[in-house]
Amino acid sequence: MVLSTIVEPITDFVAQEPKIAGLIIGLIAAAIISSVTNVGAMGIVWLERKVLGDMTNRFGPSRVGTRWGILQLVADAIKLFTKEDSIPRGADKPVYVWAPIVACMTTMLVAAVLPWGALNIGGVVYPLVAVNMDISAFFVEAALSLMAIAAFMAGWGSNNKYSMLGAFRGIARMISYEVPMGICVISVAVMAHSLNIVEIVEAQSIWYIIAQPLGFVIFMIALITDLGRVPFDQSEAEEEIIAGYVTEYGGIRWGLLYFQEYITMLLGSVLLVHLYLGGWNGPTIPVITILSPMIWFLMKVILVLVFLIWVRGSLIRFRIDQVTDLGWKWLLPLSLVNLVWAVAIGMYFA
Amino acid sequence: MTTANDVLSALQSAFPGAIQEFRVEADNRLWATVDPNKIVEICEFLRDEQDFDHYSGAAGVDKIDEALFEVTEILASHGAHPVVALLKVKTPRDAPSVKSLTDLFWNANWYEREIWEMFGINFEDHPGLYPLLLVDELVGSWPWRKDFKGYPDYNTNERVLEIINPDGYAEYKISPTEAEIEAGTVPETRPEYPTFREREIMELETESEMILHLGPQHAIVPGPFMLDLKVDGERVKKAYLDVGYIHKGIEKILENRTYIQGIPITDRMCYLAALSNNEAFCGAIERLMEIEVPERAQYIRVILEELSRIQSHLLGTGEFLSLIGGVTYSPFQWMIIDREETVSCIESVTGARITHSFIRPGGVRNDLPDGFAEMTRSALKTVVDKTNEYKELFLSDSMYEMRMAGIGVLSPEEARRLGVSGPPLRASDTPYDMRREDPILVYPDLDFDVISRKEGDSKARVEVRLDEIIESCHIVEQCLDQIPGGPIQEKVPKKIKPNPGEAYYRVEDPRGEMGIFLVSDGTDKPVKVKVRGPVFAYFQALPPLLEGAYVADVVAIAGSMDACTSEVDR
Amino acid sequence: MGISDVVPIPVVIDEELEKWTVWGRPLTNVWLTTTEKIHEIIDMGPIKNILNWGRKNSLWFLMQPMGCCGVEMLVFGCPHYDCDRFGIIPRATPRQADVLIISGYITRKYMPAIKNLWEQMLEPKWVIAIGECAISGGPFYDSYNIINNTSDFFPIDVYVPGCPPRPEQFIRGFRELQEKIKRREDKRGY
Repeated sequence: MVLSTIVEPITDFVAQEPKIAGLIIGLIAAAIISSVTNVGAMGIVWLERKVLGDMTNRFGPSRVGTRWGILQLVADAIKLFTKEDSIPRGADKPVYVWAPIVACMTTMLVAAVLPWGALNIGGVVYPLVAVNMDISAFFVEAALSLMAIAAFMAGWGSNNKYSMLGAFRGIARMISYEVPMGICVISVAVMAHSLNIVEIVEAQSIWYIIAQPLGFVIFMIALITDLGRVPFDQSEAEEEIIAGYVTEYGGIRWGLLYFQEYITMLLGSVLLVHLYLGGWNGPTIPVITILSPMIWFLMKVILVLVFLIWVRGSLIRFRIDQVTDLGWKWLLPLSLVNLVWAVAIGMYFA
Repeated sequence: MTTANDVLSALQSAFPGAIQEFRVEADNRLWATVDPNKIVEICEFLRDEQDFDHYSGAAGVDKIDEALFEVTEILASHGAHPVVALLKVKTPRDAPSVKSLTDLFWNANWYEREIWEMFGINFEDHPGLYPLLLVDELVGSWPWRKDFKGYPDYNTNERVLEIINPDGYAEYKISPTEAEIEAGTVPETRPEYPTFREREIMELETESEMILHLGPQHAIVPGPFMLDLKVDGERVKKAYLDVGYIHKGIEKILENRTYIQGIPITDRMCYLAALSNNEAFCGAIERLMEIEVPERAQYIRVILEELSRIQSHLLGTGEFLSLIGGVTYSPFQWMIIDREETVSCIESVTGARITHSFIRPGGVRNDLPDGFAEMTRSALKTVVDKTNEYKELFLSDSMYEMRMAGIGVLSPEEARRLGVSGPPLRASDTPYDMRREDPILVYPDLDFDVISRKEGDSKARVEVRLDEIIESCHIVEQCLDQIPGGPIQEKVPKKIKPNPGEAYYRVEDPRGEMGIFLVSDGTDKPVKVKVRGPVFAYFQALPPLLEGAYVADVVAIAGSMDACTSEVDR
Repeated sequence: MGISDVVPIPVVIDEELEKWTVWGRPLTNVWLTTTEKIHEIIDMGPIKNILNWGRKNSLWFLMQPMGCCGVEMLVFGCPHYDCDRFGIIPRATPRQADVLIISGYITRKYMPAIKNLWEQMLEPKWVIAIGECAISGGPFYDSYNIINNTSDFFPIDVYVPGCPPRPEQFIRGFRELQEKIKRREDKRGY
């Protein structure tokens, strides 16, 4: 009837022109994902300012947009968009200009392959994922580390000593933590018999935080390092090197880099939830059966986010040599132990 | 125990004829005018034979009537005996030159540089006689001389020339008008020396080294100063310190004010220790006028100074934590909450949050308000509880241990040689506290410990401060119990005119030894006020301490010193 | 140079277009546009109000303590006073700051540095002079090293008197600045 009159031409068109149809669907998905990630990042910044305020007996934003300050981030975004655009004298112009763009592309690459929750329709769980890639877990982990490249470009292109030190620190940190993080992903894949995140989530009848507690801890530390948050925020340590690699950035260029950090935080939390906390798995909630997996997924993500903010409010910053020390001397051997453990357990239960 | 008379007789027997004049003010004060040619030998004798191992500073005085400059070297001992020897050296005004003590005392360096740039007194054999506080354009006009006529004013923006130097930095120069040149305010000849930037660039050796500027505006600095690091990667090879960015010339301003008008200026020397500065200034005046402060006023002074020490330590520690953990680090903000409680106690008496102008020669401005004791007791209870919590937190936090332990270690000998005082010195196993060494007010009647630690690293310095907070709370509680009734102000003349003479008065500032050297000629304005601040001494010791550290540790070391730039620059 | 200088436009369309207006301005100003014309239109319309709403609610200041007021500036960002409530947060680098707080005496030696900081900040930017020293030299008016006439060097929007002012007065100063931005009466005309 009405529905079929709409659906039929579309299916016909898809059958005739698969490439164009794919492109259109891709663009729609990209629009949805980018708005979800950006709005999510704004939400996280707001959440962080509120939670940190609560931790230190303050209110946080509470004047702009109701007493919860929900429009604070809108005001910040408007201001950043309308600031003067400047490129410092002596900067490596193309590198300086492209750094925020590379950062944006990185987060979009990751966001495309991550499942953003699932819907339970008629007893069948449909994951919401734009590109269901076979090696998505590995791809996400690899693409997340591209952020360090963007940070390095920003630091190198700025022609500033603080920026350069920040960039060097960022690269040193990234190299020492990508390895244990990758091994953790492999351990999970070994247990789930797949590198596809959707299949990993489906394979978690027991959450992997219980099956691999050591792996979870290592992955968590490596993730915080990758996100560059306290205690691993050496690359932008405000009190040592002003603002690290973003010292010379202002206005919307800085705004992009700043938001990418929070988008990465969101993506990292989602990845952690998928790999170790059972993704959208959870008991079905009656009445809103359709949304039940989505609700479980969001609850877990928010829990992880609040944990990350909590860590920021209560720990001090490591020194860069201590960071690399921890990475190479402790996390790498321990992640190998975890891999052996995962293989043994996997073989026993298989 | 050695007294001033013993030191004097030892000096007279060792150097017959070298002591031209002398005055023994008390058991612990020796004033002497010595032969300018023998000053180095006398100081060496005092240091080696008489335990005068603490070079406390130097002051220049312009005696324009006698056509003389006087340089007073202040020597003391780190706990061996309480004598302070003030040795005066005279030099003619037309070609002023005295011998440098930098070979004997490492920390004489900055004091002598300051006297050189302000008075134009040359120091023979000084390793680097460069200006310290003044901007290069003012060097040569010798602003602290009595016949200084002022300097061209920045009165309109049009007179300011913007010069872009080859590095791309804008510099602002102001050219004097002809009228100003005629009035003689612009020096005709200037001393020649390499500027600060040129000096540090000269020392770059290899391609991989660079100069990293921390300051004048930087998140680490509590006020503008420039800490330049010669770094190779993350390692600091050498550190250079440039101060004077907020040099206000307080010592010159005090010469143009009456004594009462001078008290608000002393507040602003170090805005976190305003009451101690008031106390030092008024104490020096009282010593010259020979008046005794009523007992109640003495107790009020002690209460307020200890409360001020608590708030200063809480802010200093908090600021330090914000440097190593970021401004979002919760304990930092919790310490500020505690500080607000303490500040409101002080405010209820003095009416101001940080600049009090409360202490007067011969007493205090007003009495304690009703209910002060209860309010303070409840506030102090919170502070003590919270401080114990912080101590427990830092003891159990292994990350804190990793960052702080063994960083910026000052051995006891090194700490004494570099001339630091206050918490950094006490953290290096030297319990040296003015409240014990040079007791004033009612401190001898009170029961308190001098806190010290053995390690001498950043962690120990913070621990000393936290323990001192608890100790200060203890002192305040004792005072609240013991405080007698009675007057709060001794009768003093409306116009304060101290007797002609000199006085040196030391108090324990929250940051260390604060001394005021006051010269009076019997009029209502001082001839010379020399401020011997504790942070000036720390700052001089900072560059050697930073050598070999990581860039991240620079923050941990400099922050643990609890600096106050305003007092360095004055 | 607008499009009209390059592409000839038929007279009829031109005449018709000139009748159309946007907020009292001929639409042709938008259609055959230059950047200045866009700015003119934005300046008079409600868009500018929205932009200024964003700017006034997100005043980030430069962490740059200079004197006694620097201590109160630190306390201003901490519990009890909490500038974050108004969306005011400290930044360490001038590139990301909107407000320069002159929190003390400007000396001859510091003048080049602070002028550089001001020039490194990106538009739109404002200055607040806090404390007597920043306004007129305060207790150090007769010093040989202090600049008394700060307002000749910086376009100061708000003066906060006090020596030093209390943290509450900092909040008051920022509120005044917000009002000024809202009413478009600030010195630099945003």
